[in-house]
Amino acid sequence: MGHGRYIDPIGDTLTHVVGAGERLELEYVVLPGESRDIDVSVDLSGPGAELSLKALYLCKADEKVNFRILVHHRAPGCRSTQLVNGIAGGTSNVTFHGTIVVAPDAQKTEAFQENHNILFSDSAKVETRPQLEIYADDVKCSHGATVGRLNEDELFYMRSRGIPRKEAESLQMISFLTPVIPEGRREEIENAIRSL
Amino acid sequence: MPNDIIQEFTKADYKEGFVTDVEQEFIPKGLNEDIVRMISARKEEPEWLLEFRLDALRKWEKMPQPDWAHLDMPEINYQDIIYFAAPKKDKDRPKEIDPKLAETFDKLGIPLKERDVLAGVVAVDAVFDSVSVTTTFRKTLAEKGIIFCSFSEAVKEHPDLVRKYLASVVPASDNYFAALNSAVFSDGSFCYIPKGVRCPMELSSYFRINARGTGQFERTLIVADEDSYVSYMEGCTAPMRDEQQLHAAVVEIIVEKGADVKYSTVQNWYPGDADGKGGILNLVTKRGICKGEGSHLSWTQVETGSAITWKYPSTILKGDFSSSEFYSVAVTNNHQQADTGTKMIHLGRGTKSRIVSKGISAGVSQNSYRGLVRMASGAQNARNYSQCDSLLIGSKCGAHTFPDIRSANPSATVEHEATTSKISEDQLFYCNQRGLDPEEAVGLIVNGYAREVLSRLPMEFAVEAQKLLQVSLEGSVG
Repeated sequence: MGHGRYIDPIGDTLTHVVGAGERLELEYVVLPGESRDIDVSVDLSGPGAELSLKALYLCKADEKVNFRILVHHRAPGCRSTQLVNGIAGGTSNVTFHGTIVVAPDAQKTEAFQENHNILFSDSAKVETRPQLEIYADDVKCSHGATVGRLNEDELFYMRSRGIPRKEAESLQMISFLTPVIPEGRREEIENAIRSL
Repeated sequence: MPNDIIQEFTKADYKEGFVTDVEQEFIPKGLNEDIVRMISARKEEPEWLLEFRLDALRKWEKMPQPDWAHLDMPEINYQDIIYFAAPKKDKDRPKEIDPKLAETFDKLGIPLKERDVLAGVVAVDAVFDSVSVTTTFRKTLAEKGIIFCSFSEAVKEHPDLVRKYLASVVPASDNYFAALNSAVFSDGSFCYIPKGVRCPMELSSYFRINARGTGQFERTLIVADEDSYVSYMEGCTAPMRDEQQLHAAVVEIIVEKGADVKYSTVQNWYPGDADGKGGILNLVTKRGICKGEGSHLSWTQVETGSAITWKYPSTILKGDFSSSEFYSVAVTNNHQQADTGTKMIHLGRGTKSRIVSKGISAGVSQNSYRGLVRMASGAQNARNYSQCDSLLIGSKCGAHTFPDIRSANPSATVEHEATTSKISEDQLFYCNQRGLDPEEAVGLIVNGYAREVLSRLPMEFAVEAQKLLQVSLEGSVG
C-alpha cells in the first residue's frame, strides 16, 4: 500500500497485461471441498482495454478460499467489471480483497466491482475488503459488497406454494449465482448447490 | 476555463488564522517521565491519575507509530513539542476570564458570557491550548443533575465517576496516539447525564490552539446514564503558521441502557497554506460504547480543516438492539490529506448501524474513507448499511475507499456501496444556463451532495458547516 501517493507498480509481477483495444475475460469456479488462493492482478495498459472478471465459490466444509484481485487502470478509456459471488457454509473461511487502482492519467475510466456473499451456517466466516484508489477525476467507479443470508420472504413465497424448504433454498442459490456461472457448466454447478 | 474557476473557488481565506497576544506559561519541550509528572503536578492530580499517565507513557515508548493509513505523514519529533501551555492567570483576579481570551472566543463566535447567548441555547466548555478557560451554564445544568465541566475540574470534584469511566472505552494501550494522549492529556470536557434526564440544551466544547511549538492533547469523556439524552457539539480552530502542530485527542462516550447521544463535530483546524506548508496534524481517537439495551449513538462530522486527518469515530454495539450512525463529510483541498471513516463493532443481538460518508477532494489533496464493519457471532439479526461517495474536483487529487467487512453470523446483513465521480459538465451547464455563475453552481452541487449529512447537524452548526464547505472549496471548480 502506498502512503498517500500514487505508486506505479511497474516491476511488480503482473499476471495479465491487457493492451490497447484488447479484451480479457477471466472466470473462476471454486467448488465444495476445494481450498484455493486466487491471486490475480490485471494491468490495463493500453487505451480502451477491457476486463471482465467473474468468480464463484461454494463452500460446505472447512474450506479456506481467498481472493486477492488487483485491477490497475493505467491508460485512458479502459473498462473493467468484476463480479464475485459465493456461498459459505460449514466452518469455511472466505476472504475477498479486491483493489482497483486508477492512475493519474487514466481518464474516462469505468471500473466496477461487486462482491456478494451468503453465509449459510453459524460457523462460517466471510471477510470482504473491496478497495478503490483513484487518482484521476474523470472516472466512473463504484463498488459494492454485501454479506447476508437467503431472503426470508422469497423462501416463504416458494414454501407457501408447496416447494420444500431444501429445494426452495437451492433455487434461491442458483438464482443468486447465475450471473457468475460460466457457460456450459450450469448443470455441474447446480448439482454442487443441491449438495450443500 | 472551468479549471480556473475551480482554482478560484478552492483558494479561500482561513479567517480563524489570527494569534491571540496573551502572556502564557509553558513547560519545557520534550517528553519523558519528568514532563508527565510536571503536567500532573501542575494540575494537582491525585496519585492514581499520575500512575495512569506514567503507565501510558511506558506503553507508548514501546509502540511503533502506525503507518497503515493512506497518508504521507511527515516525521514527527515528539521531543520537539511543548506538551503544556496555558494563558497566565491574573493573580489579583484569579476567577475572572482574561478579556483578551474572551475577545478571542468572541471573534470566533463562541460567547463565554451566558447573558450574551439566547436563553438556553448552547452551553460551552472553551479550551485554550492546554486549559479550559470557562464552562458556561454550569449552574442551570446542575439543577437537573447534569455535570458539565472541564476535565481537570471533574478529576477534583467527581473523582469516582472519572476513575470509573476513564479509559474504559479507549484503553491507554489502544493505539499509538491514544497512548500518547493518555500520558500527556491536558484538558477537555467531562459530561455526565443522570438517569432519565433529557439535557435541555446543546452542550459544546470549543478547542483553540494558540501558542507556537505546542501540541494540544485534550480528552473528552461523556457518560449518558440510563434513558438520558444529550446532544454534544465540538468545534476547533488554530492560527496560521508555517510549522505543523500536533493535535492528538481522545473522546470516549458511554451510552447506558435506553440512552441517546448525538455527537457532532465541525473540524476546522488550520489546513496549511496552498503549498502545503504548516497546518494541524489531527490524529484523533474517538470511540463510544452502546453498553445497554436499546441505546443509541450518532456521530456526525464535517471535516474541512487540518493538514492531515487520521480519525475513525467508532461504536461498539454491545447492548442488544442498540444502534449507531455515522454521517461524515470530509473536504480536502490543496495539499490536505484525510484518512477517515468509522468502525462499527456489532456484538449484541438485533444491533443496527448506518454509515454515510461523503468525501470531496480538490487541488492535489488525498481523501480516503476507511471503515470496518464487524458482525460477531452473537450479533443475531444485526444489520449494517454503508454508503461512501467520493467527489473529485480537479484532475490532480485522489479519492480512495477502503472498507473492511467481517461477518461471522449468518443472520446478520451487511451492505456496502461506494461510488466515485466528478461534478459533470452537464450539471454545471444546467446551472450556468439558469444564470448561476460556475462558483455558485459548484457550491450548490456540493451542498446538495453533502445534504444528507448536513441535515443531521444541530441547527447552530448546520449553517456554519454549509458556509465552511463553500469556503473550503473556494477556487477549486471545474
